[in-house]
Amino acid sequence: MLGEAVRVGSRIAPSRVLFGPHVTNLGRGRSFSERHRAYYAARAEGGCGVIVCETASVHPSDRPYERAPEPGWAAVAGSCGPALLLASLGHSGSQGTSAFTGRALWGASRIPDVVSREVPQVVEQPEIDALVAGFAAAAARAVADGLDGVELNAGQHSLLRQFLSGLTNTRTDAYGEDRTLLLRQVLAAVRAAVGDAVVGLRLCVDELAPWAGLTPEQLLPLTPKLRDLVDYLVPVRGSGLSVSATRPDLHTPPGFNRALAGTFLGRGLDVVLQGSVVDPGMAEAAVAEGFALVEMTRAQIADPRLVAHVRAGTPERIRPCTLANQHRARDPRNPLITDEAEPRSGHETLDPPLPHAPRPRTGPPLLVVGGGPAGLEAARTAALLGRPVRLLERADRLGGMLRVAAALPARGRFGLLVHWWARELERLGVEVQLGVEAGPADLVGDVLLATGSVPSAPAFEVGAGVRVSSAAEAAGAYGPGDRVVVHDPIGDWTGVAVAEQVAAAGVPCALVTPDAVAGTQLSRTGDLADANARLERAGVERVLFARVRAVGGGRAVVEDVHHGAIRELPATLVIDCAHRLPDLRLAGHPRIGDCLAPRTVHEAVRDARRAVGC
Amino acid sequence: MLNTPATIGRSTVRNRIVFTAHLTGFAEDGLPSARHVAYYAERARTAGLVITEEHAVHPDDHPYEHMIRGHDPAVLPGYRALTEAVHAHGSLVLAQLNHNGPQASSLYSRAPVRGPVALPDPLFREVPVALTEADLDELVAAYADVARRCVDGGFDGVELQCSQASLLRCLLALPGVADRTGLLLRVLEAVRAELGDRILGVRLGHEDGVDVLAVARLLESRVDYLSTTVGVATSSLYLVEPSMHTPPGYAADVAAAIRAAVGVPVVAVGRFTAPEQGETVLREGRADLVGFARGLIAGPRFERACVGCNQECVGRVGLNLPLGCAVNPRAGHELQPPQARTARRRVTVVGGGPAGLRAAATAAARGHAVTLVERERLGGQLALAAEAPGRAELGHVVRDLIAECRAAGVSFLDGEPDLDAEVVVLATGARPTRRWAAASDVRDVLDGSVSPSGSVLVVDELGFHHATSVAELLARRGCAVEIVTPGMVVGQDLGLTLDREGFRRRAHALGIRCTTDTLVTDVGDAVTLVHHPTGRTEVRRYDAVVGALPPEPADELWETLRGRPGVYRIGDCLAPRRMDAAIRDGERVAVNL
Repeated sequence: MLGEAVRVGSRIAPSRVLFGPHVTNLGRGRSFSERHRAYYAARAEGGCGVIVCETASVHPSDRPYERAPEPGWAAVAGSCGPALLLASLGHSGSQGTSAFTGRALWGASRIPDVVSREVPQVVEQPEIDALVAGFAAAAARAVADGLDGVELNAGQHSLLRQFLSGLTNTRTDAYGEDRTLLLRQVLAAVRAAVGDAVVGLRLCVDELAPWAGLTPEQLLPLTPKLRDLVDYLVPVRGSGLSVSATRPDLHTPPGFNRALAGTFLGRGLDVVLQGSVVDPGMAEAAVAEGFALVEMTRAQIADPRLVAHVRAGTPERIRPCTLANQHRARDPRNPLITDEAEPRSGHETLDPPLPHAPRPRTGPPLLVVGGGPAGLEAARTAALLGRPVRLLERADRLGGMLRVAAALPARGRFGLLVHWWARELERLGVEVQLGVEAGPADLVGDVLLATGSVPSAPAFEVGAGVRVSSAAEAAGAYGPGDRVVVHDPIGDWTGVAVAEQVAAAGVPCALVTPDAVAGTQLSRTGDLADANARLERAGVERVLFARVRAVGGGRAVVEDVHHGAIRELPATLVIDCAHRLPDLRLAGHPRIGDCLAPRTVHEAVRDARRAVGC
Repeated sequence: MLNTPATIGRSTVRNRIVFTAHLTGFAEDGLPSARHVAYYAERARTAGLVITEEHAVHPDDHPYEHMIRGHDPAVLPGYRALTEAVHAHGSLVLAQLNHNGPQASSLYSRAPVRGPVALPDPLFREVPVALTEADLDELVAAYADVARRCVDGGFDGVELQCSQASLLRCLLALPGVADRTGLLLRVLEAVRAELGDRILGVRLGHEDGVDVLAVARLLESRVDYLSTTVGVATSSLYLVEPSMHTPPGYAADVAAAIRAAVGVPVVAVGRFTAPEQGETVLREGRADLVGFARGLIAGPRFERACVGCNQECVGRVGLNLPLGCAVNPRAGHELQPPQARTARRRVTVVGGGPAGLRAAATAAARGHAVTLVERERLGGQLALAAEAPGRAELGHVVRDLIAECRAAGVSFLDGEPDLDAEVVVLATGARPTRRWAAASDVRDVLDGSVSPSGSVLVVDELGFHHATSVAELLARRGCAVEIVTPGMVVGQDLGLTLDREGFRRRAHALGIRCTTDTLVTDVGDAVTLVHHPTGRTEVRRYDAVVGALPPEPADELWETLRGRPGVYRIGDCLAPRRMDAAIRDGERVAVNL
């Protein structure tokens, strides 16, 4: 069913899977680019039914990030074959930034965004007229450029939502008396501009703030008015108060919007299920339940050929999406969109494609030492390229650090990658030998070293009376009666997850970080506020702006990084989440992954592909 | 003395003012841009020596997005345009060459960072791959290659960064490095071979664990000058580019010590905001040349002072945005030609805060007949903010704006505004939000209308100096002060302006308590606080509560005049924001008149 064609408004989509609008940073300045074209084309080629481009700002007052597109889709038009290609149109309003325009943000009312704290200018009738005209002009442009239609953004990050919501619209004029007025004006203008082309609406139907925010009950009465104006509805959730709600990370279960979006079924509107849907089985079930389409955005960033695998009856071959959000593009550094385990995503014009089917096995044999992500991917890609591959892993299971990560709270999805790699190696005929410690004598012929990492020595003084463990070795190292101090000088997900795990075992725990917040790098995944709140609720004391100086005698001595004040924390065990170091025990052959430099899955996969020549 | 020529190597520089190297974020696709050219040319009117921002010598060094790719031959046209534009003012221009080593990110290069040893940088936190001998040979060649390209591009020489963020600095400083100066000496030799008689300089930084005088002596015979700095970009940037709380000239001791040890010219740096400060340093024999970076960003001809607010220069570059300046709205926008002026018009500016003053000064300078109406004191909230501890230099912004207005012929009036003028610019500001009758506002404290004592709760919803500076003021007066914020950090944006370290030190010394993640929901006889991650509610008593809340626009005049042609509103009466936004609004409205 998922792979079947479906009518969307006046058009036919080749499958029921939608690739939703998201920040990519693939633009040339604010223009859609050949990189966008290749990115969307790869998903269309893989069977995606509807591709919605990155949201374009309909008015010059809006530039939420440096490469936020402006209307103009010629660069991507015609790239997606039978798939429907739609323009997403939006205005971020008070959730934007004045950093690029140098002008006050536009807002429905004078309510600053929680994150940026920028107080917007309250738009008056001339600005509202310009906004409506901007939506209509952009929609007309999209159709003129050859797209199949548009999707309007009234979702989590949008001025249209800000007008709809009691959280952000306290106006006393007509737009306050009827908070749906602006949306209806925009929809009418857009429909008039595009004729029978597709018009979709991405609508926030639950701001998770029932005291004043949007609720599905409020929005259900709007649906009859939408019927003539829109061809499909994507109900989403979240507001400025719940930053991670729309595309949350792996702490939120896949398909979390199913019940919410389901309330809009059966009202004469085609409804799209959105919200961390990554499993084709769940998507099929949603279609059976009545959803017209299923948005699978991150799943298709992880594997552009998702629909093709479903159609071929090989869903087990789909590269799993971790939902870790570690490669989001909405980041001031302007990273290109990509995926944890598929680094070619977003780099379609830079990285060569891998063959879909293995080439005849004619190449020289390859020995891969180590069965973590680098070794697994090297074995997989070398086998795809036609080389006979043998992989040695000294543990009795594959996965390396991935298994350690997957054992931490909420990070189980990392384990899916290990299973996928294991299945792929088996399918490709890679000879995997577990429980084999490679010695120098084994290193004959073409060898890749993927032997991983070892803990670094503690950067603090260690005396008697306190145990010290690395994060990777901490599982089972503590029990009742322990007082644990987690030392986290890095601020990624590791320290936070380790502290959560300790607290979940009922063991008192403090997390010591040099930063202003715990897990400072989680701002990139969207989990920062949630992670700190989880630690609070779990009773983990966050010792901020501090580093561990010495441990011993049942105490950890921590020092403030700015004013040097010393504090002592009770400690029987310190879990050191500091960086790891490459395992250099084997030498003389190319290194990939952590044994080159300890990094993440993404870099391990990159190293592996480069090493086998793709 | 600042305006006397100096000899550097075999070159003569027309004065002793140096526009020192700093990141701009102006590169486009890694190439020097027209924006660079206009920016440096504007400062070359004043500075006899311009040193550009760093150029990467090797493609594996790409720590931030907009870095100049010196290793790419495509930079040549940009080099030539830049050097010609500086030379047109009779000034010399050097390129700063650098490799950031492990003080870098793999995000853009998609390859591991490299460093002397596998020790991660405290900011970027990536474990580097240790450099091999072959890597070092390649690096020496890379420096020489870029130096040759700089010569082709018309540069008068190069400066090697051996400070702040560089592989050369890491070799001097990191534990576990055996040969600390070998690479530096090899690079100097290779670069000298390309430069011939052109200028070769090195920038050295004072930091713990580095004997900077010994290094200077080692370099003396190999370089034409030494520049200086203090601090490390990825661990103590607040020392490299300190804010208003640090006095001008704070780093001159480094230059003085090096000058006493070596015979080559030495450049002193360190938040010099006015030429007189440079004169003093030269007169005292502490340096041969004086570096001004922020000083010339704010006032390319020293026409206005940098006040060390760090909001739009350091603050923007730290966010991967092109550099700007809070007090000089043209900084970084030198390319945009001024609009042709319309006919001379009568302009009334209502309100003498930063927005109104800027609008009046620019409009008058463009030949309009400008009257600025202000019934209270000029400077608006800026004048008030300058009353807080360590924030006095904000008063210089007001001083300089008033001086610009007077020089341009603005009439000041404290009576009724002429609202029938052809152009009426409303800059009527904002007033404190009175959310709770029992609370006062930070502005009430600063203007003396309230003087809290005993225990004081300061409610921070603005995330900047408003709450923290008033908390310091009250703590110094003996109050027991607590700052509470719904955010995750008190004074969140102090991190961007490099004010956080200093604030936390002072707050610790003053006993100021910081409480985060907490909403104040009611202020009456007692205060209700809700810790939002847990929902925990507490009722506490304080002797006083002071709000740092988003203010409300004073827009009554706009309500009357809305829709009339020739009426504009700018600054806080449009949307309450910070000084930079007010000044930018004022400039924008005036340049279009």
